[in-house]
Amino acid sequence: MLYKLVGVRGTLALFLKLGVLGGADAFLIWFIAAAINKNSLIIAGVAIATLIFLNYSFMQKGAVPLKFLSVGLIFFTIFVITPTGYTIVMSTYNFKTGNEIAKTAAIKEILNNGIAPDIEGTVYDLFLGKTDDGKYAGVIQNQITLELSYADESSIKPIEESAIERDSAGYIVGADGINAITPEEFANDDAVITSLRFPLGDGSYVTPQGTDVAARLTQSVFYDEKKDQINNTETGQVFIDNGNGNFVASDDPTNRLDPGWRDFSGLDNFKSLAFDKNLRDPFIKVFIWTVAFAFLSVATTFAVGMALAIALQHPIRFRRFYRGFLILPYAIPSFMSILIWRGLFNTEHGAINTLFNINVDWFDSPWLAKFAVILVNLWLGFPYMYLIGSGALQSIPSEIEEAASIDGASEKQAFMAIKLPLLLQILGPLLIASFAFNFNNFNIIYLLTGGGPTNAIDGEVAGGTDILISYAYKTAFGSNFQDLGLSSAISMVMFVIVGTMSMYTLKKSKIMETL
Amino acid sequence: MSKKVGKNNAWKHILAITLVLFTAFPIYVVIVTSFDPTGGISSSSLLPVKFSLSNYTMLFSDPRVPYWSWMKNSLIIATATAISSVFIGAAAAFAFSRLRFRGRRLGLKTLLLIQVFPSFLSLSAIYVIMERMFLITPTFGLGSVWGLYLIYIGGALGVNAWLLKGFLDTIPLELDESARLDGASVPQVFWLIFFPLAAPVLAVTAVLSFIGTFNEFVIASLFLQDVERRTVAVGLQQFVGGQFTQTWGPFAAGSIIASIPLVIIFLSMQRFIIGGLTQGATKG
Repeated sequence: MLYKLVGVRGTLALFLKLGVLGGADAFLIWFIAAAINKNSLIIAGVAIATLIFLNYSFMQKGAVPLKFLSVGLIFFTIFVITPTGYTIVMSTYNFKTGNEIAKTAAIKEILNNGIAPDIEGTVYDLFLGKTDDGKYAGVIQNQITLELSYADESSIKPIEESAIERDSAGYIVGADGINAITPEEFANDDAVITSLRFPLGDGSYVTPQGTDVAARLTQSVFYDEKKDQINNTETGQVFIDNGNGNFVASDDPTNRLDPGWRDFSGLDNFKSLAFDKNLRDPFIKVFIWTVAFAFLSVATTFAVGMALAIALQHPIRFRRFYRGFLILPYAIPSFMSILIWRGLFNTEHGAINTLFNINVDWFDSPWLAKFAVILVNLWLGFPYMYLIGSGALQSIPSEIEEAASIDGASEKQAFMAIKLPLLLQILGPLLIASFAFNFNNFNIIYLLTGGGPTNAIDGEVAGGTDILISYAYKTAFGSNFQDLGLSSAISMVMFVIVGTMSMYTLKKSKIMETL
Repeated sequence: MSKKVGKNNAWKHILAITLVLFTAFPIYVVIVTSFDPTGGISSSSLLPVKFSLSNYTMLFSDPRVPYWSWMKNSLIIATATAISSVFIGAAAAFAFSRLRFRGRRLGLKTLLLIQVFPSFLSLSAIYVIMERMFLITPTFGLGSVWGLYLIYIGGALGVNAWLLKGFLDTIPLELDESARLDGASVPQVFWLIFFPLAAPVLAVTAVLSFIGTFNEFVIASLFLQDVERRTVAVGLQQFVGGQFTQTWGPFAAGSIIASIPLVIIFLSMQRFIIGGLTQGATKG
């Protein structure tokens, strides 16, 4: 037998295996060290688990199937299952613009925002710099009382005139233990500087308002950890956790404090898809078009592809040329073809308007844009249908046709009554797969129309040609408002539909029976 | 009889010629545009008015357009993904087709289901992972070709295991049984019997994976920000992706060059690819 001649067994095989495994181990160990070094403990943990799993699966004696699956499983788990799980979890979260951060971070920001200038409007001259250990510190002088103080983030204490330096105009330009910062440094660190708090010790702060001015601010908002609520001491209002990622006024649930945080929201995203009119109507509109688009794409490509397969089934003149040329759309990278078609549909210089000598703004009308999408998808898809169609035609025994013809059926009758049902039966699984593919065909929508036309004035997210996947994409990564939670919920709905279809196909095609 | 055939063939030619024109139309416009120095997509006439190679020379001389780097990146990443996917997919398909173990049916079903999950919303999760990877080792992190490669082969198990399993199922069981009786180990059966037998199908899988990777746009555009590190798909899209400024000339020239290798591979392997596509249909 062959394998004996090649002789890859025993020592050599073991040597090869250990070599490859050793290389992978060396890389992983280096990677783990680097990850720990950079404090990425989760990634280091995953890498350690990978290392153990990989070595276990190849070095243990039994469990042969594991050896064949382990490498693929590792990548699949990290780059497919984990992100998929993330989407599923996020669909039960209130996670959108305004509710993106963790609760602790949101409370911190609310407290930061809950500061008001004191009633007297106390203002200070400021000299700001850094101490030798790199922390911000400054000298402040009350503009009314002219009281001089040294201020840093732990305290404010009096300082002597002798410890500071002034220029001829009287501005403070230096102080003991404080190194001046340059305007560039100031500009770069602007956000940090304006959020500096120098505590006066009575619950109020001195905060820089620029390079040389500071103001006294009082904290008016406090977080009550025990009751988990925010108290506004100035107005006496109480804000409670509404259980959905926001603090709201106890007497008026619509009065929310910003920012909110991402919070578990159960089935709320799904409920709003079903019941919130502003979300439900575009969702249903997009849903109907998605089904129509996928169906029309399959129907048109199948009709054209199948007709071509029948036309080219028996030798005719130029058959070789037709065959070779007509599968070009399948061979040309599709992202290029789609972009080219977008150029052809261009209103002013587009070749289509030039060819027919018309002046149509194709992508401005929802119906024309829909037509364009279907036409381009026909161009992209008919060669595939031709290929599988001619394969299926060949598998139909010619006796069937002869029998029909002997029974007196015309060619057309024979096709409609016998061949087509047979073809649909043979190609059924592939047609459903093609439907599922088009159901999620992001590229053609995104690259051709961008989902448009969109009624931007109404602030609509869903455009005339948006299908569910491009709608979900816009919802999650849109420019103005992003709602990852809702978008994940849309993904889940799509998954249920396409998943059910796939399982149905699987059952129907009886593949599972031969397992 | 001959008259009847002639009449029947007329509609065939009409259909075929219509489709040839339909197919040829964008290809023709792209070729004309690629030689048009003004950079518009057929501005006033569909017939070529000017002829110039400036769009082609621009791709190779303009330092702002590192076309060769893009091609190189695309070819490297597509080749690496294709080869890795085939190995991962073939090994998994072999396990699912030939070995019997607990969770096999469940595993196959799970693979199929996760495969149809609209997963690119999880891009933000992948993005976070790759961001951390970049901090650890820039070679495999965000913005690197190899980081993108890792993401691509993550999907290899699901896609190719199913495709290849269908083929492996058609190889007679007696073959590996007799090899096992002769004392071959399971890995030997895989490497020395299945791998050579499946070579044509593996080649088709590799080509389809190559084309798929070459075509991939969304993930690549999100992950490869650096001009030098882009793939051809992302790089070329920049020419025409803008709302107002679209330079079709270089895009057309770049598309033609990038399409040539794919079209050659495809046409030369046409027979095998058709076989691979119809396998599921006719044998299922």
